[in-house]
Amino acid sequence: MFLRKLKELFKKEVLILLRDWQTIMLLFFMPVALIFFMTLALQGVYTERLYERQIPLVIENESNLPRANMLEEKIQDDKLFRRVELPEDMDRDRIFELGKAQALVIIPEGFDSGEKPVEISFDPVLDYGYKLAIRTVLTSLTVEVVMGIDNLEAVVASLIVEKEKPNRYVPSPIQQTVPAYAIFAMFFIAIPMSTGFLKEKNDGTLQRLFTYAVSTDLVALGKTIPYYIINVVQFFLMMVVGVLIAPYFIGTSFHLGENPGYMIPVTLVVAAATTGFGVLVAVLVRTHEQASTMAATGAILMAVLGGIMVPYFAMPVFMKKLAMISPIYWAHQAYLDIFLRDAAFSVILPKLIVLTLFAGICFYIAGRRVKWI
Amino acid sequence: MKALEISNITFSYNDQPGKSVGKTQEYALRDFSMTVESGRFHALLGPNGAGKTTLMRLITGQMRNYKGEVAIFGRKNSDKDVLSNIGYAPQPISVYTTLTALENLRVFGVMAGLSDDKIKQRSGEVLEETGLLSYAKKRVSTYSGGMLRRLNLAVALMHSPRLLLLDEPTVGVDPQSRNHIYETLKRMNAAGVTILLCTHIMDEAQRLCAVVTVADKGCVIFSGEMKEIGNLEKFFLEKTGCALRDY
Repeated sequence: MFLRKLKELFKKEVLILLRDWQTIMLLFFMPVALIFFMTLALQGVYTERLYERQIPLVIENESNLPRANMLEEKIQDDKLFRRVELPEDMDRDRIFELGKAQALVIIPEGFDSGEKPVEISFDPVLDYGYKLAIRTVLTSLTVEVVMGIDNLEAVVASLIVEKEKPNRYVPSPIQQTVPAYAIFAMFFIAIPMSTGFLKEKNDGTLQRLFTYAVSTDLVALGKTIPYYIINVVQFFLMMVVGVLIAPYFIGTSFHLGENPGYMIPVTLVVAAATTGFGVLVAVLVRTHEQASTMAATGAILMAVLGGIMVPYFAMPVFMKKLAMISPIYWAHQAYLDIFLRDAAFSVILPKLIVLTLFAGICFYIAGRRVKWI
Repeated sequence: MKALEISNITFSYNDQPGKSVGKTQEYALRDFSMTVESGRFHALLGPNGAGKTTLMRLITGQMRNYKGEVAIFGRKNSDKDVLSNIGYAPQPISVYTTLTALENLRVFGVMAGLSDDKIKQRSGEVLEETGLLSYAKKRVSTYSGGMLRRLNLAVALMHSPRLLLLDEPTVGVDPQSRNHIYETLKRMNAAGVTILLCTHIMDEAQRLCAVVTVADKGCVIFSGEMKEIGNLEKFFLEKTGCALRDY
């Protein structure tokens, strides 16, 4: 009888959810849209930015001697740069204000004789990664000219070789965004969970259940298990989107790593953490407005801290330490262990323990604070 | 036989888990006793704050931290199985609005322990009884106020209870729906179902009920046969006073 009642409560909860288009949009369409748009937007943060985007750059050759001319030519021909001309009546310092260029290279008189160095200025809004890339390329080209080396890259290639795993771009935006926004959306389950719980409390349907021979345990399971399962389904649907659909639109493919089976235990634990968060929000709030705000703000804050909005590797050291307070960080890292690092399960396990603890704390507090009537 | 026997119930919301005890202990019910005989149509009247809804909640087992005893057909309501004798239509319309009437009846039917066949049979019967059969597969969110009230009652009737507890079952409905509800209740009572009706509508109580209990501030202040009372509204105001009760 317990299982029959549980099954009925499960069915009821799923029916209510499936008939709420706002929730469906929130749980399924929002992460798909985020995966697509964020993957495209993040192209610039990963490898492709240096090869597919060209940095507009002004070259001022004040020397016009052979070495200076050669350097000017090499810079102009480099695939990283797109040369733009400084308008005649424009002051050099104003080029960045107008957004015409992102870097200014001045080859001064005296460069050929070694008296003066090449000067580089950057658009102040240019991020450090771009500056570093521009500086590195210009250094190489200048060394080639000064030392008389035809192709420094070829020389360096015999000294340093970058090894990549076969058939994979590591990391690529899609490898970041698919698990990232799948987890992000899973935490949004807290919105329908908490608003649904409040609605049933306010309209009396929750209390009405207790006028029958049903226990609080049954009702608690009946309200939790459906969301847990929806979370798991949500994640695997996002994987389907990442593996089968996204590559057609974005051009890069999503790889599941060498041990995709590890996704099962990881997803089961992550879903416990997300459901725990949802239960906690549900019992702490008193109004629908509070529920939506707390659930959404909580999920976004955890996502920001956890390396979803800004990739973890791009964070400063302090933020990297702070990220560890976010369950989303542990969840995301566990998935990156599977998809990118091909890590052993023993490496993933500590992350799962942290997530289990988070879920346990949420459920414990919720159990202590819940008011059914 | 006594369908419902409430003996010396004392209850305070301050005593509930998670509630802090204030400086003054306010009792929703104080030494409250009443009896509803089997097969009777019994009115429970009282101004706002009299403790009527609280009493309903205690009888139906929603809240248990009280002193005193509640017995239903001779069995204490601490025994959860005894709740299957009760059909309860709460004051708020407590149905799932995104589900259809049939789906609602199924959820509560399963909670009441009915088999699938019984649910099918009883759903048809109670929807017929409440005039909702042709709307059975429509989502409840499309229902009018009167239809919602009737569905609220249909859910309470689903498991063929012997004791029906109704908390203001006709509030906010049009005269047609109200009359339909009255006729349904009369038929139920004639069929042997004991009914305890909480209402603020004196005409309703006088028209339907044979026995009346008046409560105020958590205590019973009158209990007797309806026929002994002439004008119920006048009697009620005499007993409870004309001062406003703004709770």
